[in-house]
This record gives sequence, C-alpha cells and structure tokens, in this order.
Amino acid sequence: MNDADLWLIFIVIGLATTLPRASFIVLGNRVSLPGTVQRALRYAPAAALAAIVAPDLLVVGGQLAPLNAKLAAGLAAAASALRWRNPWLPFIVGMAVLHALRAWSG
Amino acid sequence: MSATATSPFLAGARAGFAVFLPFSVGLVPWALVMGMAMRSAGFSPVEAMGMNLIVFAGTAQLGTLPLIVAGAPLWLIFFTALALNLRFVIFSAALAPAFRGVGPAARWLSGHLLTDGVFAACADGLQKADDARWRLGYYLAPSLWSWLLWQAFTLLGVHAAAVVPKSWSLEFMATIALIVLLVPMSRVRPMLVAALVGGGAATLLRGMPLKLGAVVAIVLGIAAGFLAENLEHRSQRR
Repeated sequence: MNDADLWLIFIVIGLATTLPRASFIVLGNRVSLPGTVQRALRYAPAAALAAIVAPDLLVVGGQLAPLNAKLAAGLAAAASALRWRNPWLPFIVGMAVLHALRAWSG
Repeated sequence: MSATATSPFLAGARAGFAVFLPFSVGLVPWALVMGMAMRSAGFSPVEAMGMNLIVFAGTAQLGTLPLIVAGAPLWLIFFTALALNLRFVIFSAALAPAFRGVGPAARWLSGHLLTDGVFAACADGLQKADDARWRLGYYLAPSLWSWLLWQAFTLLGVHAAAVVPKSWSLEFMATIALIVLLVPMSRVRPMLVAALVGGGAATLLRGMPLKLGAVVAIVLGIAAGFLAENLEHRSQRR
C-alpha cells in the first residue's frame, strides 16, 4: 500500500464519520428523517460489526473452520462481556484463551 | 442572570463535565486498544495518530482496519465506515433541537465531536435548558474532554505496541473490541437477528468479487433486523 493512498483512506473514513454526525446538528430542523428509515438504520451498526467479525473468527486460510482458536477466544471474550462489567476483562480473557489454545495445539 | 455570575457557557460546561466524568473511564481501554491495533496493522506512529485525529471514531477506525490491511477498495471502506456510523444520523437528529441559536462553525465542531458516550450521558440534560450558550457549554465540555482522553490514551497505546512482541497477536484485540461492542446490541432480539444474518452472510459470501459480499451482508442484516422487529410487533399486538 502506498503512503498517499493511506492518507486518502483516512480522509474518506473521516468524511464517512463526520458527515453522519454533523448531518442534523448542522442542518437543524429544516429536514427530518422518516420514522421507518430511522428504525431501519438502527440495525446498520450491528449488521456491519458482525459482517466484519464473523469471517475473521470463522475462516482460517480461506476455509470455513468452525473449530479454531480465534473462534474460541472470541466466544470467551463475548461471554465475559455478557457476564461482567469490567471493561478490561474481555481483552484479558480473549487473549489468554487464544494463547493457551495455540500453545496447546502447538 | 446577573453580571457577576459566571457566563452561561461556563456554567453549562461545568454541569456537562460533571455528568459525563464517570462515563469517561470507559474510553481508556478502547483508546489503548485502538493505538495498539493501528500499530499491529502496520501503521507508523505518525500514520496512527493521523488517522486518530482525522477520524476520531473507535468503531469506524477498528472496523475499517481489517479492510485497509486486506487492501480492500476505497468505496468498500467508505461504505463500511458509513454503515458503522449511521447511528450518528439518528443521534444527530435527536440533538438538533438543542443547537437552535448556535452558529454554523460551532455546529460543525459539535458534529465532528459527537460520540456515543456524550450522547448517552448528555442528550437528556441538553433538552432541558433554555439558554443556547449554556447548552453549547454542556455539550462541548464533555465532548472536548473525550477527545483529549482519546488522543492521549491512543498515543500511549501506539507507544506501548512497540515494546510488545509480534507473536502476542495484539491485532486480535481489535476483533475483541468489536465483539465487546456487539454484545450489548445483541441483547435486543431484532438486533441479534441483524447481527446473525449480517455475520453469516458475510462469511458465506466472502468469495464474491470486489468484496461485494460484505456490502450485501450488511444490507441483508439491516433488512433481517427490521423484519424481525415488525414480526415481533405483530405478534405482540395479537
């Protein structure tokens, strides 16, 4: 990847962030979003997050691998986030499971 | 208000800061992970902090990182970032009435600084005050504080990453961070449906050309969540 491209990517992500955030604050009450659209948009973050995370946990070397260290570590992190409030714990638990399983399987 | 009292902007700033302060601790692990994840993705410290200053959004930064590493096309990176940020359109619409009487420059700055944490902590209090200057202070103080904490702890993470060996797979912390964001969302059933369909479709369609699978998966996930919500409403009405 070329360095100028990387900065262009940052600017594009910056636009995709600041424009939605500023949208109605800048436009004020001149425009409003239909209720149906608002309700549908609420599902965008969950769908997008899962679309990024799931392939990372389920695919190893291009193949579906339902049993692998990353999936186990991800599930352990999710379980600790569900069970406890401590913001550090999912990272500690997830990384510990990942390294334990990798050490164990060689 | 009398002339001897502090300015309404400062009074609002003090109130907003006090409301937000306990929430701000939650930013610290995020910012540290963000800094380390950007370094594991191969960014130089300058590039990492550059991204942090330009974007200022944990979810959008962490979410697009794997796409940047994989060399995904620019439009896909844009689309994914937009999908991750669409919730802000709703937050922005909810906060808009509180910005009546505020100039365009302050509105752009406020928009750029909008975060989940400040919205969650301050949306309620913002609607209650009559003075536009008080409201602006109430919003900007916690927002600027979040910005400062975020930049400072990301910088710390960027430097911490340099002393950690590569075999520790720190980049996996970015995946864990995304999982941690997903968990509270998935407590609501239609949201869980959106995540399962989005994640499942992205996995199955990963072979589509131009990484189109991710876009199709996100659209399918949104549709599935919306459908599940409507089905749930209908069954409740019976």
